[in-house]
Amino acid sequence: MFSGLGAIALNTFRETVRDRILYAFVLFAFLFTLAGIILGSLSIGQNERILQDMGLAVISMIGGIIAIFLGTNLVYKEIDRRTIYLILTKPIARWQFVLGKYLGLSFCIFVVTGLMGIFLVGLLAVFGAEVKALVLVAQAIGLIYLELLFVIAVATFFSTFATPLMSVLFTLAIWLIGHMSQALLELSKLSQANTSDAACIPSCTKLGQVMYWIVPDLAKLTQVRYELISLRPVDCEILFYLITYILAYIIFLLLLSTLVTEQREFS
Amino acid sequence: MTNYVIETSDLIKDHTSPFLRKKFRALDRVTIRVPEGQTYGLLGLNGAGKTTFLKLLLGLLKVTDGQVSVFGHEPGSPKALARIGFLPESPYFYSHLTAQEFLDLVGKLFGMNGKTRKAKSLELLAMVSMAEHAKRPLRKYSKGMLQRLGLAQSLMNDPDILFWDEPTSGLDPIGRRDVRQIILKLKSQGKTIFFNSHLLPDVNEVCDHVGILHRGRLIGEKAITDSAGTGRYQDLEKYFLETIAQADQSRSANS
Ligand SMILES: Nc1ncnc2c1ncn2[C@@H]1O[C@H](COP(=O)(O)OP(=O)(O)O)[C@@H](O)[C@H]1O
Ligand SMILES: [Mg+2]
Repeated sequence: MFSGLGAIALNTFRETVRDRILYAFVLFAFLFTLAGIILGSLSIGQNERILQDMGLAVISMIGGIIAIFLGTNLVYKEIDRRTIYLILTKPIARWQFVLGKYLGLSFCIFVVTGLMGIFLVGLLAVFGAEVKALVLVAQAIGLIYLELLFVIAVATFFSTFATPLMSVLFTLAIWLIGHMSQALLELSKLSQANTSDAACIPSCTKLGQVMYWIVPDLAKLTQVRYELISLRPVDCEILFYLITYILAYIIFLLLLSTLVTEQREFS
Repeated sequence: MTNYVIETSDLIKDHTSPFLRKKFRALDRVTIRVPEGQTYGLLGLNGAGKTTFLKLLLGLLKVTDGQVSVFGHEPGSPKALARIGFLPESPYFYSHLTAQEFLDLVGKLFGMNGKTRKAKSLELLAMVSMAEHAKRPLRKYSKGMLQRLGLAQSLMNDPDILFWDEPTSGLDPIGRRDVRQIILKLKSQGKTIFFNSHLLPDVNEVCDHVGILHRGRLIGEKAITDSAGTGRYQDLEKYFLETIAQADQSRSANS
């Protein structure tokens, strides 16, 4: 049972690391970080902080681009290039196929964020950051990866039925809503308060609430990350909560993807 | 009692296009039974519904109506798939893998262990005359080479039944002769072979039984029992063309 799952994951990982586009992105990241160093050395005293903020921003940006770009193609490409005929006609369950694809890409992005992270932490160490600060930065990188895992799951889900372009738009929309869900809820409360307004308000309220409940509150991740990069330690419990919270969403999305893959035809 | 490997009865498949909301009946009440050990050739012009039929047997498409089972299992169930060797029409592969890596992947999907996978892939690559290309990336393969690899991968699990969609398409004369020889060898091992083709000579030489699919309907079935194998081609071609002409005639008479 796990040999099939592992085979699909390994094949997906191989496919991504044998793709030159990945190296273009990583090179881009290193160039950006280098620019950060130069900028940092121009300003006085603040090198470390600039480097750290810039480095984390680059990691989350490059990671996000790779996650969306490869994730939205994940299942779609197998269907489009008809390689799926040779896979789904082997004795594996559809959930193994979906999970295998997801794990393969997640591992690839783990390696990429990991390498960029090690590079950043190493640089900060060279610039004389304390070990305590380095641990917090590493935790922040971990949270970035957690968020990327969610983004990959969203992209994977859309890639089971939509074209990559549509999937990119949908995934970006969900990501954005996730970061603004608190604001959405507040907005809906606000509009509830003065119902005397326009007719569209009730439906807006509903939509806001629905979105709040469906999409995870990614702003929480950002808040905790902000604490960490301001070098204020965060409770283990909070981190644990965040991990379970996001993992639950990922499992839900993968279940949905399996359902779609089981229902759809491959013609 | 005969043991049927493939059984369909009144199988119907409608292709529905989501945008046009139009239905197209690709298969219309098709009943086919293939007993164990038989080599069955499903003949038909382009667009007759042959590929659709195979995809239903594999669970890649969903049945609209009627019954279908493979080894008594539901199509697409892992139990059935474990015993099937499938070659799609002009097979497509991962361009990032080599032939050997791909066969290894297939072996893993069948749950084979590392040693067996290695031995089997080398054996099969030699069988389809691809041993010297085993370590080349598949994106550099020609169409005929991909077809040969497709045949090899369909035999990885030592299947009990072969589902081959146009196995000789894209092959040169030597390749086609090789395929015929492989089929005869598999036949002698007692395997059931089911393949689609519109190339009558290939079918004629190896099949025990043929069915003719035309506009989604099975319009004729015939056993080819002549063991001498002489003069069969003329007969098959005549049979094929006449059956289709008759079907078209009664169709236009009815409308
Ligand atoms: N996904 C699909 N949607 C709509 N029509 C289809 C689809 N797949 C096949 N068809 C139609 O069904 C008919 C049978 O196709 P196919 O089974 O591929 O024929 P064959 O393999 O005999 O050449 C053709 O007319 C084809 O256009
Ligand atoms: Mg066909």
